[in-house]
Amino acid sequence: MAQIDMRNVQKFFGANQVLKDLDLTIEDGEFVVMLGQSGGGKTTALRAIAGLETVTSGQILIDGVEMQDKKAADRDIAFVFQSFSLYPHMTVRENISFPLRAVRMGSADREKAVNEVAEVLQITEHLDNKPSALSGGDMQRVAIGRALVRRPKALLMDEPLGVLDAKLREQMRAEIKRLHIARGSTSVYVTHDQVEAMSLADRIVILHDGVLQQVGAPEEVYLHPTNAFVAKFVGSPVMNIHEAQFSGVNGHSSVHIGGAGTGFHFPEQLINHVRNTGQAVSLGVRPEAVLLSHEPQEGYFPAQTSNIEPLGSHDIVDVLVGETVLRARTESGYIAREGQQVFVNIDPAQAHFFDGATGLNLRGAN
Amino acid sequence: MAGVQTSAEKWTNRTAIAAVFVALIIMLTPIYWIAATAFKPRNLATTIPPTVVYEPTVAPFVKLFTKRSQLREQPTQEEYDTAPWWEKMVYDGGEKVVRNRKTGEVRSSGYGDRFKNSLIVSVISTILAVGMGTLTAYGFSRFKVAGEDDWLFFILSTRMLPPVVVAIPMFLMYRVVGLNDTHMGLIILYTAFNLSFAVWIMKGFIDEIPREYEEAALVDGYTRIQAFFKVVLPEALTGMAATAVFCFITAWNEYAFALIMTNRNAQTAPPYIPSQVGSGLPDWTVIAAGTFLFLIPVAIFTFLLRNHLLRGMSFGAIRK
Repeated sequence: MAQIDMRNVQKFFGANQVLKDLDLTIEDGEFVVMLGQSGGGKTTALRAIAGLETVTSGQILIDGVEMQDKKAADRDIAFVFQSFSLYPHMTVRENISFPLRAVRMGSADREKAVNEVAEVLQITEHLDNKPSALSGGDMQRVAIGRALVRRPKALLMDEPLGVLDAKLREQMRAEIKRLHIARGSTSVYVTHDQVEAMSLADRIVILHDGVLQQVGAPEEVYLHPTNAFVAKFVGSPVMNIHEAQFSGVNGHSSVHIGGAGTGFHFPEQLINHVRNTGQAVSLGVRPEAVLLSHEPQEGYFPAQTSNIEPLGSHDIVDVLVGETVLRARTESGYIAREGQQVFVNIDPAQAHFFDGATGLNLRGAN
Repeated sequence: MAGVQTSAEKWTNRTAIAAVFVALIIMLTPIYWIAATAFKPRNLATTIPPTVVYEPTVAPFVKLFTKRSQLREQPTQEEYDTAPWWEKMVYDGGEKVVRNRKTGEVRSSGYGDRFKNSLIVSVISTILAVGMGTLTAYGFSRFKVAGEDDWLFFILSTRMLPPVVVAIPMFLMYRVVGLNDTHMGLIILYTAFNLSFAVWIMKGFIDEIPREYEEAALVDGYTRIQAFFKVVLPEALTGMAATAVFCFITAWNEYAFALIMTNRNAQTAPPYIPSQVGSGLPDWTVIAAGTFLFLIPVAIFTFLLRNHLLRGMSFGAIRK
């Protein structure tokens, strides 16, 4: 088990900079998920930790020892690939014991270690099969087994569930979490799936264009995104973000979106610091903070509904506000049919304001 | 195959199968002809119309391996009776086996040595071409090589002119460095011919092997060369087998350079077989026997590697 430090890590592919001044500390035993779009630099960062990619400058420390110039083999780190990359010409047993043969472990010890890992991952019955005979989930179990068998300092996983179907992904997600809790290995996990990130991570690291956007616990990232990118990336359905105008009517401050004549009422203290900047500002509000009502209420204004997505436990309803659409989360069946009129409001306490130019959250940490 | 076929599709299929049969017959007829002639008595080999039904004999093979001369006078009854069965066959053909005057040993025609030369040169040059080709292809496939495309084009360009064009300069160079009529000389030549082919084919195969396999091995504590041998090579075997078959066939069948560069010591079978046409009246059965035996190693080699070859022929589609 180990602590991993990245200090001012830069990585260029030719003229293209894929990691920009990356500073990150992963604590011993922590489960960190790197989240971002493809091309965001998360896989490169992971491969740099593993030693599969050199860094252009900066330091990578494992347990305080500089590793950036060491070979992958000397870093004592395990890596799980998206494609599993099980060796097709070896049986499952040979695959799992492959890392142990590298360190010339005796065959009795090897057998013991393999059986132990196989039992934990429930793949004992497949030990003598070739990988091609396994299902996707079992293949990934074997890949994880191969990573865990020599008890590495850290376990790195690059979208390990990416090629599995949705149901299996959910099941494997739970297994990975269970395994992490049981073994407490320092784990770094790369994904573009924010649900995976939220459910697995102790801390989420969000990377975009090679720049670290935010590091924090899942709920912190969800509730207090530092910028519009993070806000949009985390959470499903996506946060509603629309350009906002301000007005003051009847002693209320209102925030208008989509050119609508009526705005949402906001307490002065919540918007004072953003309304007078003179900059373009966007309002961000998650679907669960969009409030709908069949009856007119104070602060609600009438709007048309359009598309409804029934999801069983709840519905996602599109509400036309001015020229834009606000997506609202409602209890299922609350809006019976498309085109129905409702009254809409938002919860000011859950609203965010983003700088139109930089995307920074203007509210700061609440 | 689709589960349901319309009658039009059925007829298309039948026509295609018929066409394949016709093609097969056209391809196989010369091979049948060689095999049939190799077992014919000499007087039936060139009859018009061809003799189809006959009593097979191994006399052509006996003649193929022994040095013979025309009988000036018939052997005595005692000589004939004491001769072994194979020598009788030669007597029956109006020839006698030439023996060493001192030891009485039967003198060889030299076909066996030529055959052995063919095997040595083809096998070694195939191993070298496939081995070096695989390593080169791995380098091109996995590492950034400055001017990679140019290098690959250059490697391919060595095949762009007919090899015979350089036969005379090669011959002169070989004479200077003493590689004329040596196994080494032919091995170098054939390896050079096949190498560009091997590099290109193997690059295709190695490109198909996911890099993650080696990366997994690298992370697991292996060096790159260990990763190559333990992970890449087993995955590349199919491609290597397919490449080896092609290289072997090219080297085995090569005629022009073997004819020019060798005469006794390192001569291979292809230039030797037709050289028998010229001495005395051509004995087509002996030539057919020599050719027939010459076909066998390639057939065996291809048969042994057939499983690899079938997958390998799809050039690259080796995963799962």
